[in-house]
Amino acid sequence: MAAAAASRFGHSLFGGGLRNCFPGLFTTTSHKLTCNTNFLSQQQRTFIQMRTVLKVVDNSGAKKVMCIQALKGRKGARLGDTIIASVKEAHPNGKVKKGKVVYGVVVRAAMQKGRCDGSEVKFDDNAVVLVDKQGQPIGTRVFGPVPHELRQKKHVKILTLAGHIA
Amino acid sequence: MRLEKCWFCSSTVYPGHGIQFVRNDAKIFRFCRSKCHKNFKMKRNPRKVKWTKAYRRVHGKDMTQDSTFEFERKRNRPERYDRNLAENVLKAIPKIDKIRVSREERHHKNRMRGKKEKLQKEAARELEQGINLVKAPSALLLDPSLTLPKITVNVSQQQSDNNTPMED
Repeated sequence: MAAAAASRFGHSLFGGGLRNCFPGLFTTTSHKLTCNTNFLSQQQRTFIQMRTVLKVVDNSGAKKVMCIQALKGRKGARLGDTIIASVKEAHPNGKVKKGKVVYGVVVRAAMQKGRCDGSEVKFDDNAVVLVDKQGQPIGTRVFGPVPHELRQKKHVKILTLAGHIA
Repeated sequence: MRLEKCWFCSSTVYPGHGIQFVRNDAKIFRFCRSKCHKNFKMKRNPRKVKWTKAYRRVHGKDMTQDSTFEFERKRNRPERYDRNLAENVLKAIPKIDKIRVSREERHHKNRMRGKKEKLQKEAARELEQGINLVKAPSALLLDPSLTLPKITVNVSQQQSDNNTPMED
């Protein structure tokens, strides 16, 4: 309505030359607004790659780790994959200190992953459980839900420690 | 294999279909298709979206309480296989379906019972209130003051009148 009124006003004052520029201006601004809302509501989730910061959901002492290498996959790690990470934040007297390089299993990923039956699963956040090189967990507890796909990846210990299996 | 219900539209999620979202408190939201998943991401309430089962239940559109719904429910203990039982169940399924459909039809009929009279009453009221807006076609022919008078316009003269101010 505003655009139409403005265009009519412009026509009566300045003639046809200016009429074309008013509606164009209005449409561009509205288009930009819709793009912004779309971007905020639907963020694209991607692989866990170098410099991805993940939450640590065990009692190993680390709080946040940053992925420095995915051990499998060309594009990056997904749900259930193992990564190498560096500890960015840690509790003051835990087993793992800040700055150490650790191995971890991705137990929750915000990017959806296909299941064996063809459906998909996705989680709220990116979370990791720290393990040693042999694949044994460093901590003794696992918080939050973990996927049952870890059994195929031979991480049965993590599954037994976890409270909820999704 | 378990057939789950979609969190948003309450339809059946068959194996290999849809997506499931696991919240950090381990609550699982299953969706039958991307339409339902997108509506969930937009934080819509299924009770307020008209095409969902939840809306239809809340607003009395569908049957809510019926003994035919008791057969379909989630059982956490797997039933031990029994040939006779399986045979009887397979026989009972179409029978129960038939009963359910007939009851749903009855419910719909009950819901629509007063509709025709209501529509007619509304139409009669509208006619009564708006009758002064309508003129009979024969009245227009009889009384010339009701129609627009016919004016003869000289076209060529008007064109020349229009052209002169534009040139100025």
